Amino acid sequence: MANDNYDVIIVGSGAGGGMSAYHLTKSGLKVLMLEAGRNYDPRVETPMFNTNAEAPLRGVGTPDKPFGFYDATVDGGWQVPNEPYVVAEGSEPFIWWRPRMLGGRTNHWGRIALRFGPLDFKPYSRDGLGYDWPISYDDLAPWYDKTEKLIGVSGAAPARNLLNTPDSPDGCLMPSAPPRAFEIFYERAFRKMGIPVIPMHGAVVTGQMEGRNTCLFATPCGRGCAIGANFQSTTVLLPPAMATGNLTITTNALVYQVDLGKAGKAKGVTYVDRKTGEHHSVTAKSVVLAAGSGETARILLNSKSSAFPNGLCNTHGMVGRYLMDSVGTGVTGQFPSMEGLPPTNDDGQGTQHTYVPWWGYEKQKELGFARGYHIEIGGGRHMPSMGMAGLLPDDETSVGDDLRAKLRNRFGSTIGFDGRGEMIPNDDCYCEIDPVAKDKWGIPVLRFHWKWGEHETNQAAHAVKTFLEVIDTLGGKPMGEVETEGRKAISKGGEMIHEIGTVRMGHNDTDSVVNQYGQSWAVPNLFVMDGAVMVSSPDKNPTLSILALAWRSADNMATLAKQGAL
Amino acid sequence: MSDAPEPYVSKIDRRTALAWIGVVGAAAAVGAGVVVYGPIKGGEPVRRGYGTDPKLTKPEKAPWSRIMVPAQLQTAAILADFILPASGAAPAASTLGIPDFIDEWVSAPYPDQMGDRPVILNGLNALSAKVLKADATGRSAALKALQESTDPASQKFWKKFRKLTIGAYYTTDAGFKDIGYIGNVSRTSDPGPSPEVKAALEREFQKLGL
Repeated sequence: MANDNYDVIIVGSGAGGGMSAYHLTKSGLKVLMLEAGRNYDPRVETPMFNTNAEAPLRGVGTPDKPFGFYDATVDGGWQVPNEPYVVAEGSEPFIWWRPRMLGGRTNHWGRIALRFGPLDFKPYSRDGLGYDWPISYDDLAPWYDKTEKLIGVSGAAPARNLLNTPDSPDGCLMPSAPPRAFEIFYERAFRKMGIPVIPMHGAVVTGQMEGRNTCLFATPCGRGCAIGANFQSTTVLLPPAMATGNLTITTNALVYQVDLGKAGKAKGVTYVDRKTGEHHSVTAKSVVLAAGSGETARILLNSKSSAFPNGLCNTHGMVGRYLMDSVGTGVTGQFPSMEGLPPTNDDGQGTQHTYVPWWGYEKQKELGFARGYHIEIGGGRHMPSMGMAGLLPDDETSVGDDLRAKLRNRFGSTIGFDGRGEMIPNDDCYCEIDPVAKDKWGIPVLRFHWKWGEHETNQAAHAVKTFLEVIDTLGGKPMGEVETEGRKAISKGGEMIHEIGTVRMGHNDTDSVVNQYGQSWAVPNLFVMDGAVMVSSPDKNPTLSILALAWRSADNMATLAKQGAL
Repeated sequence: MSDAPEPYVSKIDRRTALAWIGVVGAAAAVGAGVVVYGPIKGGEPVRRGYGTDPKLTKPEKAPWSRIMVPAQLQTAAILADFILPASGAAPAASTLGIPDFIDEWVSAPYPDQMGDRPVILNGLNALSAKVLKADATGRSAALKALQESTDPASQKFWKKFRKLTIGAYYTTDAGFKDIGYIGNVSRTSDPGPSPEVKAALEREFQKLGL
């Protein structure tokens, strides 16, 4: 491997790394992909149809598997063994989800694949807050089209022309499965409130698609998919990239440094083998960082040289800055009207079949916060878990037939409403290298700083109020204690696992680290193709946009390579 | 005692049983496929979890040693069957191995389960004296008293044990049948809810003024 002449080294194999490898290898470039985690094959490792009773502790989450035993995540979660991170003293909480597996977080993600809208790319122009992107929706739209057609996205519907909620052109999406009982039910409340409910865009193949299997409408997507019916880098992007003969993948390779060569260009990277502890340097004509926003920033900040004493591309102190996440908050309700319905198979297509896009763009001044949130809504008669007793009130003590009847009656009668909202970047949210802490191999680790702004906490309070109104309209009651104060109701930083924006793109080297194609201003053959390049954090979940941006950037990079410009 | 409940016999599989025998040196195989096991005697107990990369498609049994003693297991069986006794086609909790699951839970080396451990074990110890040697009337009275208890420790034990029993029961195939879960089957399409379900929803919408 060391002697191969690679055109490109790609660090990371998730959405950004997978997509860039897909396009660059198909463009004829020789690519070496370095993945920090182990090899992973969803075809043989996915626990399709396993029941909770087959798992230790009935599958509940533990520190070893925080999202439950069957969650696809390998060797990771909120903590990765031997790879600590630090949250600065005085910071609000921040947590960082990392897997260590081929395909990264695309193996377990929620498959919600919403496009950013036109307003999302120009937020500063609209309300004077945050920053504008150097590109517009129209620049990315063709790449959204291509991405949706490649990865398989459901949610086709007649165009609605809702503000900042793009309709995909005909032919991009497949139809969603019909709304389930709970989705029919909640829609009626939103209809009364004048709020639209529309098909979710989910990265699941729900119809005929060449070269892909169709969803089995069973078994949760978060486990991964053995038949490749949902989008994972490991089933959709890496196999065709491998088939070109141009892709070499090295796993357990934790990259920690970009190596500089003559004339200020990147000559390769250095990594530690997580299994052997050996350090290796590899070379290529160009380097793509797609390790995830945190790791990508960490690699740059740890790549110090006389030319870049504070980290590569960090002359203006911007690497690690503008760290963002989504605003998260949720309330669950229990609904007598949903009790006792005839048994129905509500397993569905993995993602929600419908959702509520943000509806308040024209009411921002009266709302007391800028930007907004969409609502992801879960319910139905899903496979029972250890939480079954939660269907009943806490002071309920029945046993025997009485207990059986109550559980049977309430099964499927709860609905959870979750807001996912935009965060405006602020000066208090960033990551840097901790001066003391190091990982197992002596590599300095990240220290995070976090503080939600008032726009976010006000938004969270609004979301809770909205959910309570919907629950009341539907004759239900909220379950558990509901926190109505925004600062208490809001999620922890990083908790939505949408951390983005540490190496943002912009117009020039004083306002950003990379250009609109992810090409760094300081090192012309060094590119960033993950969520780190994002300038704002719209309410729409970022993965589809990471994919589309990576494809657009990789296409530009392939053109530069052909021109000999790298 | 003629009215004593049948002694609880663990429902763990033989392979696991043999593994445990190897580990704890205290279990005794009882015929094929079932085992009665006792407290740890000799050998080091296994306290590790399943790790961050367990095999998911065919999960191995939780690796940690079990800590419940026979009296606690027998009491757990009585209490689990008080919460969910057999009813029609639905089996009693003990026949689904719920006491073994309680043992797996309280023995686990994870924070939540370790937090539950003293609650469950102390509760079982307190209850065992009242149910194991009592006659049917005494046993019934003790269980009823626990169900209606108002002192914080008993209430906490009751809620926790009941919650674990319900969760463990309804995550089994028998539990699926009892509660009406009909998913986890491969389908070529998702047709959505039946006309019957839609009609029921419409009736509810009328009541709600929607």
